[in-house]
Formats: sequence, C-alpha cells, structure tokens
Amino acid sequence: MNLDFDFQNVITAEFGVGQDDGDDQTFVFVSVDGEVQGALREMSQTTWTAMQEQATTPARYEPSEKYASCEYVYLPLTDDLAARMRDLHTANNLPTDGQALGNPSEVFCYFARLTDRQHRRLTALRRATQFKGVLKSRLIRLVSDALKLVEDKVFKLDVDFDVLIDVHNLHILRPSGFEFVGELQQAVLAAVPTNIEAIKQDLKFVEFSAIADYAGQHPRAARYLASIRAQKETKNIDKGLLKKHCKRMGIEIKESKGKLVVEGDDVMRFLEVMDRRQYQVELVKGKPERFKAGSRSRLRTSGGEV
Amino acid sequence: MTKHHQSEGLKIARFLMVLSSISPLFVLWAIRGNKLLPDYYLFALCALLVVVPNVFLWMRIATARRLQERRELIVGKAEDHRDHLLVYLFSMLLPFYGAELATWRDLAALLVALGFIVFLFWHLNLHYMNVLFAALGYRVFTIYPPSDGNPLSGKISQVLITRRVGLSTGQHIAVYRLSDTVYFEVNE
Repeated sequence: MNLDFDFQNVITAEFGVGQDDGDDQTFVFVSVDGEVQGALREMSQTTWTAMQEQATTPARYEPSEKYASCEYVYLPLTDDLAARMRDLHTANNLPTDGQALGNPSEVFCYFARLTDRQHRRLTALRRATQFKGVLKSRLIRLVSDALKLVEDKVFKLDVDFDVLIDVHNLHILRPSGFEFVGELQQAVLAAVPTNIEAIKQDLKFVEFSAIADYAGQHPRAARYLASIRAQKETKNIDKGLLKKHCKRMGIEIKESKGKLVVEGDDVMRFLEVMDRRQYQVELVKGKPERFKAGSRSRLRTSGGEV
Repeated sequence: MTKHHQSEGLKIARFLMVLSSISPLFVLWAIRGNKLLPDYYLFALCALLVVVPNVFLWMRIATARRLQERRELIVGKAEDHRDHLLVYLFSMLLPFYGAELATWRDLAALLVALGFIVFLFWHLNLHYMNVLFAALGYRVFTIYPPSDGNPLSGKISQVLITRRVGLSTGQHIAVYRLSDTVYFEVNE
C-alpha cells in the first residue's frame, strides 16, 4: 500500500492539539518553529517506515478485532468509522490558538499536518500520553556542573505517530491510539441502528430488535455489528446452516413467525458466530472443542493468508 | 467546532503593530509642531513612536520567516480591503492631525481619544491596516473559510497581506503568521 504524499517536497508543516474540556472537543493549531517542524516531518517518516516494516499489504481495520499494541492496518477515509479523522484531515483553516497548551491536562492528542508541493495533505496524529506525562514527572537538566529541576512546562514529542492520514486511507500503526482519538466507541454505538438496518437486508430470517437493544448498551457487541457489516459476508448465509452452527456452539435460538430470535447473553455469542469468531475443532474423536477467536484472519485453501 | 473563549495571541505584538499603523500620524505631528512642546522633545518623541513600532513590525516579519511560522490557508471567499485605508484615513489621520492643541487639556483629550482608537484597532484586530504595506505594493485581503460543512473547519475570517492582485475560491496559499488572524505572503 502506498502513501499519497511526497515527504521530499513538504512546503508546510503545522502542529496542532486536540483539546477536551469535558463538554466539547476542539482541534487547534499551535505555532511552532522550524526545528519542531523538522521533528514532525521526521516523526511522520519514521511512522511510515515502521508501517512498511510491519506489512506492505496491511489488513483492513476491523473494530471487533483484538490487535497488538503496534500493528499496521488501514481503513478507507470514506468509512463511517473514520468520520472523526476525516473531519480533522479535511478541515480547512483550523484556528490558531497560542494559549492551547496553557492547560495541558485538556490535551488528549497532538497532530501534524504536512502539505507537499502538489497541495496534498498528510495528517499525522498521536494520542497524548507522553506529551502530557512529562508534566507529572520531574525533569532535570545539567546547568554548568549541577543538575537542576526544569521549572518550565516541557512537552515531549514521541518518536512516531499512531495514525497517518492521506487522501485515501487512514494508515494505523497503533489501533488503540486510533480508537481513542477517533472516538471509536461512541462511533460504533451511534452506528448500531444503521449497521442493523444494513445487515437486516441480507438476513431477513433473523429478528434484530433484541440484538439492537443489546448492542446499544454493549460496546463490544456494537463493534461486532460494525465488523459484520464491513466484511459484507452476510449475503448468502443459509438459515439452516446458521441454526446448526449455533446449536453446535451452545447458543440458544428460538424461532418465532419464521424468524430466528436470540436474547440475553446469547446475543454476544450469536454476533461472534456472525463475525466468524466462534468455531469448533474435533481432533480427538468424540471430543469436540469450541473456541473463540479474539483475532483471526482468513486462510487460503492452500494454507496462506488472503 | 471552535471554542467560544479562544483568545487572540500575541497581544503586545498586536499593540505595537497598531502603533506602527498609526506612525504616519506621528510624522505629521512632528512636521506640524505645537505650542506646548519644544520641537526637539516633540521630534524625539515622534521619532521614537515611528521607529520602535516599525522596527518591531519588521522584526516580527523577520522572526516569522526565520522560525518558518508557515501555514496553509484555503480561500473560501476573498475580499480586497483597500477601502479600509480610507476608513483608516478618516478615523485616524484627518481628525487627529486637524485637532488644535492650544492647552495641556487639549493634548490630554487628544491622547485619551488616541488611546481609545488604539484600543479599538487592537481589540478589533485591525493591526494589519498600515499605509506602509500599501506603499510597498501589498494588498490586504480578508479570507473567509470555505463552506465545506466540516464541523472542525475554521469559522473566523483571516487577513492576508500579499502582493497578489486577486484570490480565487479554493486557492491554497502558504503564508507566514504575524498574529493568529493576520498572515503575510512572501514571494520566495
């Protein structure tokens, strides 16, 4: 996968922070000098290099997947789950606020916006952990031959970013950072009705009202729904095979007016089946074993990954 | 969304830029002289008021260039505000130049009135209004952000000082920051 940006011809490098004052989240630019701009360019390039070292063809991000702390995945910028990041990337003339770092505890992320000669943008974003963490610890520096406490506010930039955004995709190096900054939990919960509506079209034999209620209160179930919809693998699901698999996995399913009804905690397990996470193997005769996959990837028939 | 309590930074810089913008008035005062102050005091004072803010303005532009305080502005709608110089002329130069200074109370009243005008220019971010820019061939545009429906896009207008004769919608311009709302384009 390529990055639609030219690091060799950067004409502006802007720095900004995301602030959360409890009621509202805002993104503003803070003016920085050439050295900081150079550091931001370097961080962005380091991030891209780290991504390339991980995978040249990354998997698409799935909200239900359990990822390692550092794992390169991508998400199209047009995806509903990328809405917050898309807004940030496409926002024009973001305000400048020289006072934005006056209250560092409100800063939840920082970002860089690079522009190349062809006016293509690259937004690089990092969750503010180290950036804020420095404020809580005591820094010392060498003045003459004695160490002294640094009394000014000091902000420490990280080595790389969590997410790079170009015109096509979000390139995610740290999925947890993206989920935090991109308000993913709120996004998947808010998307429950639209996701249910989309999946319903393919599974007319499933009663979704109890599932919708459950997913509206359980973020994990909402993530499964978002993932099931994004995979677009619901179209030809066979009612009989689905019932049989659920029975094998111990999921209680009732049938009412020709529709399958799932309730209570079985909803979560039913969604795991739909998200291809519950499976059974029988390697010892007469002793089938059931598993739940926190992370999974499809295999080719020849044995390689798709 | 932008915070409602966001404040404009560089307060002292903006104050000195306002003083720079009214420096032609000090030149006129020095030429005209008055009965209350001996010429050498008046010349020295006026020279100080002309030189310091303008040197500061020059330093601010030089600092912005040295520190590479650049950003990209996208033009939504642009208005050429050469007519603001007329407002400037009528609000500042003519009334203050024409004021009769026969007594110390006249001078005190004039300085207080000037203080009000300086405060208004500072408060309303009119520090870009400077005859010097016009003399050096620069135009002043007010740039409104594009109406893109993006909740994070800037909502406030920016001022761009540039040698361009016109700006078109959607144009991307790399500019130097003089203050949070005033930007300067240098041809490099």
